[in-house]
Amino acid sequence: MRPKAITIDRRTFVKTSVCSAAALSAASRAIQAADGQPAYSCKFYPFTDHPNADTCWSLSVGPDGRIYAAACAESSPGGTVKLMRYNEQTDQLDYLFDLAEKVDDPGDSGRATQCKIHYSFAPSMSDGIMYMATHLSGPPIDLPIYSPWYFWHDPKRCFRGAALVAYDTKEEKIAWWDTLIPKEGCRCLAFDEERDTLYALSYPRDHFITYNVKTRQRRDIGRIGSINGQGIFIDKKHRAYTTNDYGHLVRYTPEKDRLEWSPEPLPYDRRNQTGWHAVFYDLVASPDRECIYATTWIPQPRLMRIWPHEGEWPRVEDLGPVTQDRDLTFPHSMFVDHCGGLTFAADGKLYYVASRWRDARYNPIPPEREEREGVVWRLDPDTLKREEVTLLKHPVGTAQYVSRGAVDHNGDLFFGYINHRGKPAGIFKVTMPADRKKKNAHLPIRVWG
Amino acid sequence: MTQQTEQQRRDRWNTPEMQAFRREVREATFTKEGMMVAFPTCFPGMTTAIVPDESRITALDVIPSGVVFGGTSGYQTHLFAAAFHGITGAVFDLGIVDGARECVAVCCGKTHFVAFVNGPGGGRAIQVPLVRMDADLIQEWGFQRPEFKDLGECAASEPVVHAVAVPEAELVVGATREHVFKLEMATGKIQIVGAAPAGGKLARTSAGGIVGRDSARTLWHFDPRSSVFKRQAFQLPEGQWTHDLIWARDTRTGIVYTGDAAGRLYSFDEKSGFSDPLGEVPVAPVGPMAVTLDGRVFGFCGEEMARLFCLDPRQKKVMALGGAASVIERRRYGYVFGDAVTGRDGEIIFGENDNGGHLWLYFPRIQPV
Repeated sequence: MRPKAITIDRRTFVKTSVCSAAALSAASRAIQAADGQPAYSCKFYPFTDHPNADTCWSLSVGPDGRIYAAACAESSPGGTVKLMRYNEQTDQLDYLFDLAEKVDDPGDSGRATQCKIHYSFAPSMSDGIMYMATHLSGPPIDLPIYSPWYFWHDPKRCFRGAALVAYDTKEEKIAWWDTLIPKEGCRCLAFDEERDTLYALSYPRDHFITYNVKTRQRRDIGRIGSINGQGIFIDKKHRAYTTNDYGHLVRYTPEKDRLEWSPEPLPYDRRNQTGWHAVFYDLVASPDRECIYATTWIPQPRLMRIWPHEGEWPRVEDLGPVTQDRDLTFPHSMFVDHCGGLTFAADGKLYYVASRWRDARYNPIPPEREEREGVVWRLDPDTLKREEVTLLKHPVGTAQYVSRGAVDHNGDLFFGYINHRGKPAGIFKVTMPADRKKKNAHLPIRVWG
Repeated sequence: MTQQTEQQRRDRWNTPEMQAFRREVREATFTKEGMMVAFPTCFPGMTTAIVPDESRITALDVIPSGVVFGGTSGYQTHLFAAAFHGITGAVFDLGIVDGARECVAVCCGKTHFVAFVNGPGGGRAIQVPLVRMDADLIQEWGFQRPEFKDLGECAASEPVVHAVAVPEAELVVGATREHVFKLEMATGKIQIVGAAPAGGKLARTSAGGIVGRDSARTLWHFDPRSSVFKRQAFQLPEGQWTHDLIWARDTRTGIVYTGDAAGRLYSFDEKSGFSDPLGEVPVAPVGPMAVTLDGRVFGFCGEEMARLFCLDPRQKKVMALGGAASVIERRRYGYVFGDAVTGRDGEIIFGENDNGGHLWLYFPRIQPV
């Protein structure tokens, strides 16, 4: 059922939902089951088969209902991305393959490497294909860093291009692969299965790309700006949406074959921001696909709800900030102040991970706790109240930055983890309480990365 | 053992060579010297910019007071005026040219400018009064959109390729795909003066003539005073001349600069002809360029992701200055540029030929005494 459309201002949202530091322990206790065991249990799964992996920029449920994760190696010269899948029988990650090897672009090529999959998984339900596209940033094997701008005109060093891999989850093999975007990486990917069309954003030039998986034809629709939106969503009318540098929606309508820009920006904090950099970070459709929940890729990220089928341009509800208040004179790190991992679970609630950090004035976390925490929140779409259900706990590092989240076919939550200093890299599994799970909880499936 | 491996790894990436490489990437990737400012096609804080896919800036000209006039390409063509000096700081969208999707040249006269635009029906000349951009744009202002006057086709059904103004004669000389024409600013009359296949942009030379390429090895010449058109008037120097020509003019000396397909730069003086190669840009082809007041030539080169360069003709030296990045007024990377002019005070103004195109003001580094 569609919730009553209301605009929630920041003050209301904070008043009704945010746990203060003092209330955290109470909130934590509130999620304990009657037998004393945590209702939501959290476990970390390291990429043990890829010790060079340093990040997990992409995690998604596949068309088979299983969880796929990108073990990325962007910090190691010559590093490449390997595909992992959660094995529920053995309760561990299975290593499937090295993408660089599969697309004939090995890590020792001397070029920038096929080092990661960045928000670029896209499942296809009709044929069981899991599409995935690679991204750049990993340096050549003999250099310490890589700049796509610096090396653009260098044929020996320049990234060959984002590779698109069609992995057949039924046959357990790669059906085919192609170069999706020459010389550039794929920042994010979405799939319109009814139109056989993939949508992608290129990096660094920020072009909007379409790709027909039947004809294997690529089209460059043109530049958007300088800062990639970190996600693309598709509405029921087959329109693809992302954002520009100033937080305006950018829409591609296949019938018009043209990009359009919305007049209004997405919500941002007007106390100290201008809308610049308020680009999409993460996006998830409500189970009925009537609206999209989104967060922005900027410090002080906000949660919002977008209704794409209302009016000429979608109606956008500002659901307020998702992280704590802070000193507005200080440029906070985007790796500290972050929200991602949006996903709907079988209980019809929105789950996401927002960071929390120690701040002497705004959030004096006691010294026995981690300086930075990744909080798993559960938001009721009807009441817009949220509750803290658990914390992500990494064996050695902090876990405040989550890239993507997904629910598998059993109804459990998974989150990709980013912390370059927090090796081992890997993913989190949050086992849901039994009464909040169901079979095929991953459906309707998310079709963007 | 692990500790040793980690140490070895650190050592490997911290050699003097690797540190120098890191520094090079950090300091040379973008705008290595001088300052780039990307200015949007709007009155910031007051108007919206030209629609992104209608704002690919492909033609610019400037009048002595420093006001810039330009035209865009894309789904529709807009004409605009821009001012950056004093208490201005705005781009004024003068309007859309009906039926046009490409603007190839803007030529300023004393009272009007003429924009040369292409659409499905061929190339046309559009005359527009020069607008004043001298209001106090900090305090209060008033604007009025001028009317566009369609002067018609320049050559039947042929797209215009380029045109240049001869301000002292209130004349414009242009080229279509097959013809060379002149346009009298006062009357709006267009007249074909010769036939030649187009080979890129035109240039006004040191003696006041207009040149354009008419074969793989030669330039035609048109004398505005005598109206004499001559084919194969000048020989191009040794080099690769397989591309459309691009020029920059030193307004003090009249010397013009061009580049061959390999990126070698040459100067051309109507009396002395072409120079030997003055240098080579970091990556071909040579793109839009303009000459600042001390004679240095600044331009972009390379496709898809252009690199800024500086040619110092006196030293016959080309410096690579990195890619375009703006962190003032707008935070933006600049990749593709369509035209360049020299501003009132020697700054170079580049038109960005990309979605969401900006006017990029480049302030060159002041040369040490």
